[in-house]
Amino acid sequence: MLEASIFATVLCGFLGTIFKKNLVMKIISMDIMSTGVIAYYVLVSSRDGVFTPILSLKNDVSYADPVPQAVILTAIVIGFSIQALMLVGVMKLSKDNPTLETQVIEENNTP
Amino acid sequence: MTNLTVAWMAIPFVLGFIIYLIPQTARFLALGVALLSTGYALQVFFTASPVEIQLLDSFGVSLAVDQLSGFFIITNAIVTAAVIFYCWPTGKSAFFYMNAVFLHGSVNATFICADFISLYVALEVISIASFLLMTYPRTDRSIWVGLRYLFVSNVAMLFYLVGAVLVYKAHHSFNFAGLEGSPPEAIAFIFLGLLAKGGIFVSGLWLPLTHSESDSPVSALLSGVVVKAGVFPLVRCALLLEELDPIVRFFGVGTAVLGVAYAVFEKDTKRMLAFHTISQLGFVLAAPAVGGFYALTHGLVKSALFLIAGILPSRSFKELHYKPIPTSIWVALIVASFSISGFPLLSGFGAKVLTSKNFLPWQVVGMNIAALGTAISFAKFIFLPHSKDTTESHSKKVQWGFWVAMALLLGGLIAANGVYYQAYTLKNIVKPLITIALGWLSYWFIFRKLNIKLPRTVEKIDHLMGVMSLTLLLLFWIVWTRSHFSILF
Repeated sequence: MLEASIFATVLCGFLGTIFKKNLVMKIISMDIMSTGVIAYYVLVSSRDGVFTPILSLKNDVSYADPVPQAVILTAIVIGFSIQALMLVGVMKLSKDNPTLETQVIEENNTP
Repeated sequence: MTNLTVAWMAIPFVLGFIIYLIPQTARFLALGVALLSTGYALQVFFTASPVEIQLLDSFGVSLAVDQLSGFFIITNAIVTAAVIFYCWPTGKSAFFYMNAVFLHGSVNATFICADFISLYVALEVISIASFLLMTYPRTDRSIWVGLRYLFVSNVAMLFYLVGAVLVYKAHHSFNFAGLEGSPPEAIAFIFLGLLAKGGIFVSGLWLPLTHSESDSPVSALLSGVVVKAGVFPLVRCALLLEELDPIVRFFGVGTAVLGVAYAVFEKDTKRMLAFHTISQLGFVLAAPAVGGFYALTHGLVKSALFLIAGILPSRSFKELHYKPIPTSIWVALIVASFSISGFPLLSGFGAKVLTSKNFLPWQVVGMNIAALGTAISFAKFIFLPHSKDTTESHSKKVQWGFWVAMALLLGGLIAANGVYYQAYTLKNIVKPLITIALGWLSYWFIFRKLNIKLPRTVEKIDHLMGVMSLTLLLLFWIVWTRSHFSILF
């Protein structure tokens, strides 16, 4: 069930990147897609248990897998920095294309 | 070797920041980084056995360095050095060199990593660094081209991440070897990411606009080495796992034919070179075992051609027929075009022979068509008029940096002949000569007069994304049917 919702999120985001006309909306759709991917990593790490993997006095608990969490932390940072970079680019573009319609920008800037 | 590798990998990033802090040192440090990589690559060639490094216990970063990586690393080193020489007298700011060095470091990292997450990080750093290089002129067009690139590659990398976690789910490890026994969707997702990143087959149609609209030194970097960062992991996987080998070869043939089909009809120099890059990557993939040498020759020749195209008086082939180019530039152009068409005495010949020895029977027809198409498309350059008169007003001024870069790249092409000197037998020499002759004839009698303009609709961003989903379906179908068969038999 959870897995299905996660893939639905990824799919929604991906369809958004295709069908949304506005450049900012496209970037937000991409963010939704990456939210889905991140959630999937969290789901995979919680397969064997949901306890925070920190050594404590309680011994007989099933810990969550720390590796995917550590990995996705890197991916979150990278994803957010790329989005920041893209939004700066969009800001620059918006001076000459205030509506930010992808089609218009594309027509203006393709030889 | 472990310490040396780690130090070599970290140095570009440290020096990159130093460049930004002390801008006066920019060009020297950037050149130093390229020299260091050359030294390291030579060291790799002289180390007989492949080096496997596992940093920080079993879940840490794993690296693998062998001869194959050596070829890719030395390509990266020479191309970066040539581009830095080219830019030396042009007064680019320290910001440009910083990004070039970051790009160099992250491309190097992709050539030695052996697990999916280090690869992911390296590929994303490449995206950021090349975006900043593309948008260096700060014009609207360059920003749009950069945004488009970043958008496509980031979405592809999100698919890749899903694939990586599926591999982890199956094996509790991110190692490349984990692809074996992973579910078919894992392989499909990961391959989609790498194909889109490497500019291969239909998912690589973002590449022509990006490479042709960037500055020529940046195009040289992008076409010479950056696309190889997506191709190298595919080659590695194909060599590691036998069942992936036919898939990679199939995409190799597909992209070789597709790229060349566009290239023969193209009327714009830089776009033709960009389409031709798509096609040449196919040669690297079509014979994974010897892909390293082909990647080396292609990297050198393509960056040389992009640098030359940047100083030609016009970008359109039609106009170039009326504006003769200076003879000295024409000679460089001829040497590069001959090498890429596979003419003997240049290393493009050795690479083509070596690659064609490793084709499977079903690949031969497709690859011969691609080789013929290469000869046709480069006949456009070879038959350009030239004149001794260099004082013509419309030819741009050529700076000394250009000649140093040419000496480096074309010298490398001639020197690389030594890698596979066994190619020089009579039978091997005759075949490329026939191909080239056929190519020139068909150019002169057919393609010179044709005036077909292929539609560019597929290069719109919506279509690029849509094609990505189609490629995903195709990949999934291929992998799934193959695994199905292996259960049956």
